[in-house]
Amino acid sequence: MNGTAVVAEELALLDPAERGHHRLAWLSTVDHKRIAVLYLLTGLFFFVVGGVEALFIRLQLAVPNNHFLQPDTFNQLFTMHGTTMIFLVIMPLSFGLVNYLLPLQIGARDMAFPRLNALGFWLVPFGGILLHFSILAGGAPAVGWFSYAPLSETPYASTPGVDYWAIALLVLGIGSVGFAINTIATVLSRRAPGMTMRRLPLFTWINFVNAFMIILAIPVLNAGLAMLLIDRQLEGHFFLPFHGGSAVLWQHIFWAFGHPEVYIIVLPAFGVVSEVIPVFSRKPIFGYEFVAASTVAIAILSMSVWGHHMFTVGMGRAANSFFAIASLLIAIPTGVKVLNWTATMFGGRIRFAVPMLFCIAFLVQFLLAGITGISHAVVPLDWQTKNSYYLIAHFHFVAVGAILFALLAAVQFWFPKMSGRMLSERLGKWSFWLMVIGFNMTFIIQHFLGLLGMPRRVFTYPDLPHWAWMNMLSTVGVFFMSAASLILLWNIVISFSRGKIAGDNPWNAWTLEWATTSPPPHENFHALPPIRSRRPLWDAANPDRPDPVVGNNTSEIESPDKNKVSILSFIVSEAAFFTVLLLAYLFFYAHPQPGPGPRELNVPRTLIFSLCLFASSFTIWRSEISLSKQRRSSMLGWLALTIMLGGIFLVGQGLEYWKLFQTGVNVSTNLFATTFFTLTGFHGLHVFFGLVALLIFLWLAWQGDFASGRGPALAAAGYYWHFVDIVWVFVLLAVYILPLMR
Amino acid sequence: MTTYEFLTSAWRWNSILLLFSALAVVGYFLAFGRQGRPVYLAAALAVFLLALISPVSALAEGYLFSAHMVQHILLVLIVPALLLLSLPRSFSLPRLLAGFTYPLVGWIAGVGAMWFWHEPTLCNAATTSRAVFAIQTISLLLMGSVFWWQVLAPRDAERLSPAAGIAYLFTACTACSILGIILTFAPVAICSVYQQPVDRLGLLNTIRGNWGLTSDKDQQIGGLLMWVPMCLIYLAAILAQLARWHSNPAPHSEKSNA
Repeated sequence: MNGTAVVAEELALLDPAERGHHRLAWLSTVDHKRIAVLYLLTGLFFFVVGGVEALFIRLQLAVPNNHFLQPDTFNQLFTMHGTTMIFLVIMPLSFGLVNYLLPLQIGARDMAFPRLNALGFWLVPFGGILLHFSILAGGAPAVGWFSYAPLSETPYASTPGVDYWAIALLVLGIGSVGFAINTIATVLSRRAPGMTMRRLPLFTWINFVNAFMIILAIPVLNAGLAMLLIDRQLEGHFFLPFHGGSAVLWQHIFWAFGHPEVYIIVLPAFGVVSEVIPVFSRKPIFGYEFVAASTVAIAILSMSVWGHHMFTVGMGRAANSFFAIASLLIAIPTGVKVLNWTATMFGGRIRFAVPMLFCIAFLVQFLLAGITGISHAVVPLDWQTKNSYYLIAHFHFVAVGAILFALLAAVQFWFPKMSGRMLSERLGKWSFWLMVIGFNMTFIIQHFLGLLGMPRRVFTYPDLPHWAWMNMLSTVGVFFMSAASLILLWNIVISFSRGKIAGDNPWNAWTLEWATTSPPPHENFHALPPIRSRRPLWDAANPDRPDPVVGNNTSEIESPDKNKVSILSFIVSEAAFFTVLLLAYLFFYAHPQPGPGPRELNVPRTLIFSLCLFASSFTIWRSEISLSKQRRSSMLGWLALTIMLGGIFLVGQGLEYWKLFQTGVNVSTNLFATTFFTLTGFHGLHVFFGLVALLIFLWLAWQGDFASGRGPALAAAGYYWHFVDIVWVFVLLAVYILPLMR
Repeated sequence: MTTYEFLTSAWRWNSILLLFSALAVVGYFLAFGRQGRPVYLAAALAVFLLALISPVSALAEGYLFSAHMVQHILLVLIVPALLLLSLPRSFSLPRLLAGFTYPLVGWIAGVGAMWFWHEPTLCNAATTSRAVFAIQTISLLLMGSVFWWQVLAPRDAERLSPAAGIAYLFTACTACSILGIILTFAPVAICSVYQQPVDRLGLLNTIRGNWGLTSDKDQQIGGLLMWVPMCLIYLAAILAQLARWHSNPAPHSEKSNA
């Protein structure tokens, strides 16, 4: 059915001229609105896949001592269900919404980098295919969505499932980082006149903050995945305890990503709710500044509390107490938000249309999710309920009750903008009530199952008192949710051709996306209303009582160069990646293993080659200066010299590797070798890619294509090159200089 | 010595520190008269004395790395911030010191104060030698002041714009968290003096027994203090930046462009 939806939407959204080659038009599009629709349809498709997996899980658990599924199949199902729902459903759906709405809300024509945007999207189906290809290649991963080591290591998971899992997540992660960089660059450098940062709609602001979390958190996972793949493919030792590796290190890395990830997927939902509730309460949001600032607080706090996922690991009472307190603190900014949303409704003229119903359900479910969440921050309680169905219930309240409900509100709310037609309210209410009833039926009871002691990830269970009816009730609830999902899909399909015509602004909303036609033209806007407050359409409709002007009455905005913004964001994400590799190196350096160590390295030679690399930072700077003074030959010379110096450095690294290989030291020798080759190898790879980029510049400049206007591009390459050099300073200190000080 | 005895008797009324504080008060009123904000000065001196004469100081002197960390954080983050807040709005630095008002210098001073003094040799020296400890204390106050100048300079024009301020504080927070993470998970003693304390006060049995603080756990707590609660100080400053940004009718960043 989803396939039909794709074709139907494609045809209706195309210009008459494009219908002849509509497949190609959608495959090659760089328009943010179409990419967004592709994101949304992909998310919807995988929602069906992940939903069917959930259905099978619940069918297996419906009755005690069931043998409907094999244990291993069950393990594969819950692993795929978790991975799919987080990385292939919630993230693409959120990214799709952001992609569609964010440029419209700030009055932009498109995202800052349309081609990067297309790449980011196409990596999602690519990652999805890689993940699911594992089924054909010997079995899907069966180690849970967080792939705890050493279970995920070759001795315990010998089929390539985990490899596909890791590669798929790397691919998806790269796409997410690209998307986040694009979001930051778009918000900072593509705003319409008058759309100052303080006037941003909350959906845009929250997703702007979220983009920073993505560029900081996803690289941490990428680093962990790279280490896991090195362990599995090259026989490294990072997470294998019997060679001195640390399984707990994987948990730290995974949750250093995983906890921010919870907020990465929940913040877009907060954004949706912050837009929908005011519109259906006919009031501006209560305490805009508090909603905006608490988002920043949540983002920062969430990055330092991952330890609360590891209370039962044995970090010690001291560490547990600190993480418990920090985790409890997150309740404050989150509570501020809930208060603001509720206060927005208070005294408003509330219209109980479907988007609002979903938002109200969101508020109730999210409150419960928050309360059970806080209970998990209490260490002794966490010890009792960890890995029980109580935990399952908690995070499904977050993922379904909060995030999915908000996304469903978003679909109902913005579908008219995307398609030009309204979704049916009647069908919407059916799917709303079925969803709410089914969801609570499935998951409320799981709290009690967990408290009775039912562990997660067991393929079946004995017939203990109460367990049978509780599980049956939970399974029955899933059928309600499935029915709700089918009605939703049906609603989308039929409303697309037969829905009521929406008009520009069917909900009487106030942000800029409603100022253009539905669906918007290719260039988004023919003309923009003046922007002086956070609700430009309110001001336009009520000129006698406009909102107070936010900031000074200017339409001038600062828009920094998008190349600079994007390369700096990229550098931030790369810094996070290298920080993890460097910390892993130091961690294992402090636990020396038998076999080769830092004394095998040739320090004087490396210092000489390092000087070449550092000198190249100077030469590329000279090259930029020459470009700005329009001195072509001098620019070419300095650039060529930079490339040469970088090349010499790589030769030096090659010599080091060659010597080590000759003495029989390779990545699988011991932990020192594993960490050394990983850290310096990734750095070398970055130098190599930098060289390739500089060679392209050199070639372009040689062709005379560098006459003018390329300054920012070379400056961006320069920033990257300096960054690679700075990373080497730290690597040099940690790997070569630190052992000398012992 | 029991905990109660310790908490009541371990206050050291160091005459130099008290004299210094008194001089600071007199100097402050001579220089600024009624223009300043003496409440902040009082708070700064209270925290300063708390860090250096209270039982925290006695513990930091060779017993507990975590107590040392509390002292360190108070001296580098809290006292300088309060001192800058106590200055009158009209205050500006003499020309000679203008070099300290570059954001990069401030950032390096703030982060460096954390990293530099936790180099094992220096950390040990500061714990064992009174002279090094005095140098450390003064340097922490100065470096902290240079760091906070970017955010809390008396004149608004000399502060970073709120957005830049947030980036400044967040990166500093990250850089210090990384050190906290290293201290928390380091299997070796960073400050080996705290491994085998010289039991000057007869307190060691209470610490190891009643309080249950082994030297490993002590270092872990020290690292965690730097990792988690210290970040909360930066976070509070970041929220203050956001408040400043939203409360200002003509934001700095937009005015400069107009």
